[in-house]
Amino acid sequence: MAKSKTAAILKDNLWTNNPIFIQILGICSTLAVTNNLVNTLIMTVGVSLTTAFSSFTLAGIQKLIPRKVRMIVQVVVISFYVILIDIILRAYFPDASKQLGPYVGLIITNCIIMGRAEAFAQANPPGLSFWDGLTSGLGYMAVLLAIAFVRELLGFGSLFGIKVLPESFVPWTIMIMAPSAFFLVAMVMWWAKSVQAGKAQPKASSKPQEAKK
Amino acid sequence: MKKDSIAYVVVFTFVICAVFVGVLAIANESTKAAASANKEFALQSAVLGAFGISYTDKADASSKYKSSVNETVSAGGRAWKARLDNQDYSAVEAAGPGLWGTITVILAASPDGERVRGIRLVSQNETPGLGGRIEETWFLGQYEGEKSAAGKIAMKAGAESSGKADPDKENSRVEGISGATRTSQAFGDLVESALAKIKAMGGK
Repeated sequence: MAKSKTAAILKDNLWTNNPIFIQILGICSTLAVTNNLVNTLIMTVGVSLTTAFSSFTLAGIQKLIPRKVRMIVQVVVISFYVILIDIILRAYFPDASKQLGPYVGLIITNCIIMGRAEAFAQANPPGLSFWDGLTSGLGYMAVLLAIAFVRELLGFGSLFGIKVLPESFVPWTIMIMAPSAFFLVAMVMWWAKSVQAGKAQPKASSKPQEAKK
Repeated sequence: MKKDSIAYVVVFTFVICAVFVGVLAIANESTKAAASANKEFALQSAVLGAFGISYTDKADASSKYKSSVNETVSAGGRAWKARLDNQDYSAVEAAGPGLWGTITVILAASPDGERVRGIRLVSQNETPGLGGRIEETWFLGQYEGEKSAAGKIAMKAGAESSGKADPDKENSRVEGISGATRTSQAFGDLVESALAKIKAMGGK
């Protein structure tokens, strides 16, 4: 029972209910950080850990939280973890901290974290909430890394900062700028929804129907 | 006490805030030393980098900083002097507005401000991947050994920029970053103000 539930949560958060292309959460950071794989990786690890630990903590104290102030408590717990990550980065990973700069603080505003706190951690035990938060973060990470892969490759001709395309390659400046992330996110959504719609109705025509939620 | 009573809500909120803020305060206090050591190292490595003094690690940087660089004070903030290859060089810390926030650099040049020795970034908040590329070595490296025309180094930004480093050290011009015109221009102005500062310090 427990095992099938964890597997179901994993599949849900990575695919059927992915935070980016189904729930459309955390889009701001998708636009901001994905022009570079290294930043994307650090940022998404930060979001995953924050979501996991804040869901865990909130689930642990869910019985004590009065409904009136539950959102305030969620914000306190989420910002607690983000500031903790910032302090740790500053002390032990100064390079990463310098690279990320303002983005660490922006983890707080990521809608996925509060979304999971509201939708899952309120009504589930801490262990399962931790898993739910972590897998939500992984779903976010998977999509962002895919987008960053395309953007860094075409925008800089490199992957993780290592040049892979020849010197003669002309970088697509648009790929470094935020608008390109709009196009790529839209393409990912289109692809994911077409595949999911195709699975739901095997006889679906080549024109995918808009899947209304 | 009932969970929805005002007293409970007040006490609960107070306790939650006290606990979480308390833990953060402890974490901040206990990592303060490491964080300030990192900051110190970042500054020292920027000064050494601007002077073109190489170092292997943190301890080496610290000892080289102590042995070959003299910290002085100029009118506008911190300044350093060093004698390298039988020539005197001065360095200043200069800060100016970028596109989003303040850019702080350390620039080393000959005392008359006519020849740049090198430049390093201390902090910037420009757009990652665009203006943030002012941290890249090809960009900063253009300034190394660049001659200034009466304290001016032209920044080729915007449409005329090719986005590739300008190898000519005598033409008093550098290439800006394509896609980051405003940051490039701001950086060019900042370099000129730093050169003016060095000139104002003179040979003293």
